[in-house]
Amino acid sequence: MNRAGALASDFGARVAPLAGLVIVLIAAAITSPSLFESSNLRLILFQIGLIGITALGQTLVLLVAGIDLSVGAVIGLTAVIVAAHTDGSDGALPVAILLAAAAGAGVGLLNALLVIVRGVPPFVATFASFVLVEGVITAVTRGAPSGSIPSGLHTLGADRVAGIPVPLLVFAVLALVVGVILARTSAGRRLYATGLNPRAAAMSGIRTPLVVASAYVACALFAVLAGLVDAGYIGYVDAQLSRELNLESIAAAVIGGVALTGGEGTVGQTVCGVLLLAVLLVWMVELGTGVGGQLAVEGAVILGAVWLQRQTLSQKRSVKG
Amino acid sequence: MFSRRVWFVLGLGLLSALVLAACGGSKEGTEETATASGGGCKPSKSVETAYDKAWEQGEQALELTKLEIPKTELCEVDTSKWQKEEPSGGYKIAFAAQGPTNSWAAENEEAFKTKAGELGVEELYASADGDATKQVDNIQQLASQEPDAMVVVPMGSSITGQVKAATAQGIPVVACAGTIAPSSGVVSTVTRSYELQGRLWAEWIAKQIDGKGRIAMISGIAGVPTAEYPKKAAEELFAEKYPEIEIVSKQYDDWSPTKAKTVAASLVSKNLDAIWSDSSFTALGVYEAYKEAGRPVPPVTGDASNAYLKAIQNADVKFALSPFPPEMSTQCLETAISILKGEPVPNFVNVEAPAFTDKEKEKYLRPECSENLWIPTKLSDEELKSLKLCE
Repeated sequence: MNRAGALASDFGARVAPLAGLVIVLIAAAITSPSLFESSNLRLILFQIGLIGITALGQTLVLLVAGIDLSVGAVIGLTAVIVAAHTDGSDGALPVAILLAAAAGAGVGLLNALLVIVRGVPPFVATFASFVLVEGVITAVTRGAPSGSIPSGLHTLGADRVAGIPVPLLVFAVLALVVGVILARTSAGRRLYATGLNPRAAAMSGIRTPLVVASAYVACALFAVLAGLVDAGYIGYVDAQLSRELNLESIAAAVIGGVALTGGEGTVGQTVCGVLLLAVLLVWMVELGTGVGGQLAVEGAVILGAVWLQRQTLSQKRSVKG
Repeated sequence: MFSRRVWFVLGLGLLSALVLAACGGSKEGTEETATASGGGCKPSKSVETAYDKAWEQGEQALELTKLEIPKTELCEVDTSKWQKEEPSGGYKIAFAAQGPTNSWAAENEEAFKTKAGELGVEELYASADGDATKQVDNIQQLASQEPDAMVVVPMGSSITGQVKAATAQGIPVVACAGTIAPSSGVVSTVTRSYELQGRLWAEWIAKQIDGKGRIAMISGIAGVPTAEYPKKAAEELFAEKYPEIEIVSKQYDDWSPTKAKTVAASLVSKNLDAIWSDSSFTALGVYEAYKEAGRPVPPVTGDASNAYLKAIQNADVKFALSPFPPEMSTQCLETAISILKGEPVPNFVNVEAPAFTDKEKEKYLRPECSENLWIPTKLSDEELKSLKLCE
């Protein structure tokens, strides 16, 4: 494989999500024209916002060669804390948000400690955190979370500005900020270096444990924000939803092209993955495929994305070799 | 070369989507509603009358005139072979429960515990955490403690074999808030009929739209009996009696209000006349989605939760709710005790619960209680407080 071929392959991997989005939109236009009606478009934009916020956090963790399976649990924990602390009172919301953020950061720290200090594989560490947090929620609430969601959160989850859902605007701002940090700052460079080769990064003076811990804590805080958005969207503590956002946050980043092996990927790619996934999910609902169908299609697209990544990686290696 | 791979990846996703779209109407396997049999079972007029009573209440409450009761094998089980002298410390009854995974289960288990205390029963409890596989182990463990009887809240059909092993061991088993295949040897099933729920909602929907129009059906979790049986009953009724009702879309929402809202948001553009659903979580999502879209909420059905009534208390929404009461666990326990006393029991106890419509929302709303409360409730104020469900 020559360098030109490898570049073409790399380019192909990068445009695949966008090409996929175009193809899905065309297919949807043929099979389900109603996808483009305003109510469905609003739904797609909301999904982009909610999935996107979690996917940004997941991107940071993936870039340091980690993965976070506790995102869903933190989302659930946030809703439970907000409902219990506020019991529907807007006045108590700021403190509730701080409490939820502290709890989320605690879960992020726990993940980081397990991964960095004990050397537990990220998959196992974060899954253990997921089970632990879900267990604590169930033990404390006995399945019936007390309190209710304050109406003030409705603005964050269900309001629109100039027709655009607020969660999408939040995601857009965050994506811009994270994108700039990753691309233009030394913090971003340290993150990529740690993900690509932690030993080399450490030898060059980067405090890699701090970088990895920051990624996990940031991911948890993004999950707290997603929990607030979700609670505001429905105005109810939804105990059923958490597991799906785990998968979707990873799926969006991976579909976009963020490498599971760490150190490769951009926020732009995650945004592309989020767009494709959100359109795909709503299209599946339009087609009436059911939950199983949605998961199967999501799985197939992730498989395809990972396959494409592996191909690109092996071609890059063969060029270097 | 790269284009071939790109096309392959995209094609893979697209192909799966189209194949699944083509199969969208199919669903995972279901089974017939179980009617229990253990010892001898003889036809009984009183059992039939009791079974029909729940249907009649629903028919009257929803102001229906054409609710046909499907034929079900009903009989009275001779329980003399399980008769047992009550030990000085009371009967030892195992409860293979769902586990406190949601507020329904919390109420279900609290009611059982309280009733067991009242009746002087020693309760052996095991939580399945909502998982059928875990429940298989639970039933085995509970059976090894040699209880006098066992009450099982079935988490799925995969527990049938273990229930059969327990009944073969001489332990009479009562299926509670769900059904287990008759081959398991379960003595009695105590639940609110899935057919009743499905048909009641379907008839009410048909009445609201004068037997013709466009509707959607939203169910809970694909493959789970509590979601599949009412859905199947409703589909059959629509197909048999209302050919002019077009089911535009069939969806699942995992009984998640958020997912229900996203599913309903995608249905807003379909100009639906009504939405059949099996849950008030779904009804809540439907209300939120239509409200947000600025469109009138179509008539909707579901079971009965305080969350839904709180959400719509000031809104003009047409609905019909038929509860699936968590406190039915007390009836399950009473049935288990009757078996141990050698009293004849129905093979199927159709749990009565007041169905109601929007006309009675003030009567059933509990503003002082949590959204997690299932209504109407028979739990005492103390129990509701201990569960943090009411002030």
